[in-house]
Amino acid sequence: MKSLRRFLSRMTQFVTRRRDDERLKEEIEQHIALQTAENLRGGLSPVEARRQAMLKFGGVEAMKQDYRAERGLLFIENLLGDLRNAGRTISRMPGLAAVIIVSLAIGVGVNTTIFSWIQMILFQPLPAVTGASNFLLVEPRSDTAGYPGASWLEYRDLQTQVPALRDIVASQMVPFNVGQPGQTERTHGQLVSGNFFSALGLKPAIGRFIRPEEAERSGTEPVVVISYDYWQTRFRGAPEAVGQKLRVNDFDLIVVGVAPKDFQGTMLPLKFELWVPATMTPVLLGGTRDLEDRTSRGFSLIGMLRPGASRQEAQAECSTAMAQLAREYPDASAGIGGEILAFWEAPRGPQRLLISGLAILQGVMLLLLLAVCGNTANLMLARGSTRQREMAVRVALGAGRWRIVSLVLAENMLLALLGAGLGAAFAVWGTKALRIAPMIGAFPILFPTKVDQFTLAFAMLLGAACGLIFSAAPAVHLARLDVQDGLRSSSNTLSRSRARKVLMGVEVGLAMVVLIAAALFLQSFRSARQTDPRFQPEGVLLAAYDLSGRNPDDASEREFAARLLERLRSLPDVEAAAIATNVPVDLHGIPRRPFTVQGRVRTEPGQDRAISNTVTPGYFKVMAIPLLEGNDFADMRDKAAPAQAIVNEEFVRRYLNDADAIGRRLQTRTQSFAIIGVARNSAYDALGEPPQPAAYFSYRDRPAYQGEIHLRTRSGNETALTSEARAVLRDLDPMLPLYDVRTFSQHIERNLYLRRIPARMFAVLGPLLLGLAAIGIYAVVSYAVARRTREIGVRLAFGATSGRVVLQIIRENLGAITLGTAIGWVLALAISFRVMTKGPINLSVFLGVPAILLSVATLACWIPARRASRIDPMAALRHE
Amino acid sequence: MKQKTDVLQGTLALMVLKTLDVLGPLHGYGIARRIEQISGDLLAVNQGTLYPVLLKLEQEGAIASEWGASENNRRARFYRLTKEGRKQLLVETKDWEKTAAIIRRFFDAKAEDLS
Repeated sequence: MKSLRRFLSRMTQFVTRRRDDERLKEEIEQHIALQTAENLRGGLSPVEARRQAMLKFGGVEAMKQDYRAERGLLFIENLLGDLRNAGRTISRMPGLAAVIIVSLAIGVGVNTTIFSWIQMILFQPLPAVTGASNFLLVEPRSDTAGYPGASWLEYRDLQTQVPALRDIVASQMVPFNVGQPGQTERTHGQLVSGNFFSALGLKPAIGRFIRPEEAERSGTEPVVVISYDYWQTRFRGAPEAVGQKLRVNDFDLIVVGVAPKDFQGTMLPLKFELWVPATMTPVLLGGTRDLEDRTSRGFSLIGMLRPGASRQEAQAECSTAMAQLAREYPDASAGIGGEILAFWEAPRGPQRLLISGLAILQGVMLLLLLAVCGNTANLMLARGSTRQREMAVRVALGAGRWRIVSLVLAENMLLALLGAGLGAAFAVWGTKALRIAPMIGAFPILFPTKVDQFTLAFAMLLGAACGLIFSAAPAVHLARLDVQDGLRSSSNTLSRSRARKVLMGVEVGLAMVVLIAAALFLQSFRSARQTDPRFQPEGVLLAAYDLSGRNPDDASEREFAARLLERLRSLPDVEAAAIATNVPVDLHGIPRRPFTVQGRVRTEPGQDRAISNTVTPGYFKVMAIPLLEGNDFADMRDKAAPAQAIVNEEFVRRYLNDADAIGRRLQTRTQSFAIIGVARNSAYDALGEPPQPAAYFSYRDRPAYQGEIHLRTRSGNETALTSEARAVLRDLDPMLPLYDVRTFSQHIERNLYLRRIPARMFAVLGPLLLGLAAIGIYAVVSYAVARRTREIGVRLAFGATSGRVVLQIIRENLGAITLGTAIGWVLALAISFRVMTKGPINLSVFLGVPAILLSVATLACWIPARRASRIDPMAALRHE
Repeated sequence: MKQKTDVLQGTLALMVLKTLDVLGPLHGYGIARRIEQISGDLLAVNQGTLYPVLLKLEQEGAIASEWGASENNRRARFYRLTKEGRKQLLVETKDWEKTAAIIRRFFDAKAEDLS
């Protein structure tokens, strides 16, 4: 109690310390005046009276010191003093400080930007929802087919049978066609359970949300909640939007409310605009039986973990419930268990892919930051050495070792935190730049990355860690300083120059690793762009349509595709037209399906799989992929021909040992096909990939409700076809929008997007790091040379040529650099073996990068060495 | 020497409290004079050491201070005992007497008493 009060009063007096100093001074004066008066009365002369009074009072300065120690917070006062001193020191070396701060800022900024992505995926998977990391996915898992999703009835069962999860909600993503006939627009929405918004704990921006009872009875409540952005763009943010009608899939829905800002649905990074009660499914999707059919598994389930419950409990309950369902409904649920997953483990969507990619990127960038730290440590050490006389004076005047260390620490921490602050600003800019990245593929995508308090804390933590790392060496060095030695001018002990050389080696080694990683990445990116895809993307227009709102059957899908193609082919500018379910070089990849083929016996366990794409006749002509054997698929309206398949060269090589493929039977899970042709290999998932086995099936045999139209133009300007294609589709069905229209080249460019971001980062950071390494080496060498001016002068005076001196200096420093480079090189090689398993070692990178690094390093040694060798020996000998 | 100052710090605080208790509000010089009169040469050389002690006591809340006019009509800082200080003085006086009594008995003890 007493000590607390003392502390508080010290705190206040710390603030008022100037006034208190005056008070003490006044008290002392008064004291001495009174004593003097007393002495005068005792008969002393005025001068003697005052002298005696002062003698009696004792040492004023020592007492003041005591008084101050008693009064204030010595620690904070010292700290402030250190900081003031640090500020002065830094302002005396603006160039060096700028290099350090900016390089740290870039390192911290890049790391923070990447961290904000990881953070978002791990902790903020539901934007605008608080406590989002408590939500877990409930995913049915089939023994054979991965994660098929949940059926509506299954959801209703699970809702009550997994008590560890509070309020499980169901949602299904659906593309809607919104608008009046003839001018519809494809808009993505979610069909949701009645508790969707309440379970997520959201509050509407205006209006209300879907009520639980509105998702009870089938097809009776035509309500819709719109996203904040949709409200802003389509209704200009007018409050009258609530109550208005929205034409969705040719059906009127009433807007009842607007979702809060930033809420974009429950399937990050997809961005949804509409939320409709799941019970509207039969009405909106042309009478589907989704709500009654247990085999119709389109829903995703998420639930919030009840406080106190564990993921294991939820998992156990989920497994029990799914086992029970499998017994009750063997037709629909046999062999289907359940898994509780975190958002980043989501089986659909790019999370998993992103997390591993980002983790690697973050690792590389942390190495980069470490290299920056090494560089800074070296610069500070070199600088610290020039200051050893200052420090020696401080020690001689009675400063403790800890005071010296804290002085150095304060300087470096100030630098580090300035760098981190600037880095955080870079990160704010970086995450914004990523936010406005274009959408990918047919889905509206938004990564709502932002710099929040976690990210800021991360940046500051990085900064502080950096500060500690690079102040360690100079602090230890200065604290161990021998006063006698330090006061003499030109001392340069062996251990100190060794420390600098070790640091230089480490820094160069780290730079080596990062530069090789950057070079490998850039190389793969560039080669990916330049590789021949083995089909001809130029002159092809892509566009998509989607019949899902019509709930079509096979026959109507086939008929629609056939009529669409007839109309498109009759356009004068169209050279060839085709429809396919998948487009190569797509970010989401093309599915691989298991199959068996006649004449092939698989010896190892598992199933043979091949890339599988379903295409209409004419596809190979549009894509300019030659058929090496056999013929194209039978006409869409041909009812006589058997089911057909065309395979590629790699398929024949790998699964049929180059034997004749034509006429063999290919069996998938559901159907049997006759192989009628062999197509040339082409790129499927990525440009420059090794050949993959692929099988094409015919739209005639496997029609789909969704299609990607491929049009090859006659004139060379494929974009000119857009309006004609739109007109054709509108003519066939006024409610169907043509969406995701893009040229094939744009499609490829777009899908390189995720690789382009890190490629750009590396393209900027690589040279920067090289520059930093050069500055570091230059600083160390020029410092070391400056300290040896006299020695160099002696050598020159004794007849050494300047060339010899230069050579010797370079040789001395290059040793450490070469060793660092070699270690870094081996490390990079080991990492590249682990991360990039396939393909031979990229020789140009693994030889070119060290060559560049070593030549830059040599240059950085040579410049100061040459300057030193040119001094006048006489001047050098007179030096100090 | 060191021992002496340690004792000084502790006893000085007690003396200050007692002085203020007996004489009422006083300025630093007055307190110093009073202690000097009673204790002889304790503060003969180092009257200044009184001020850190005063500050400490003030921070603990045992005494309070305010400006007032001294006998030579100059501004002086007057210290007075607070309620808390009175309590503290009582407790410490008791403690001190107890300690003194124990020490006294110890010094008075003869060899046969301890056997």
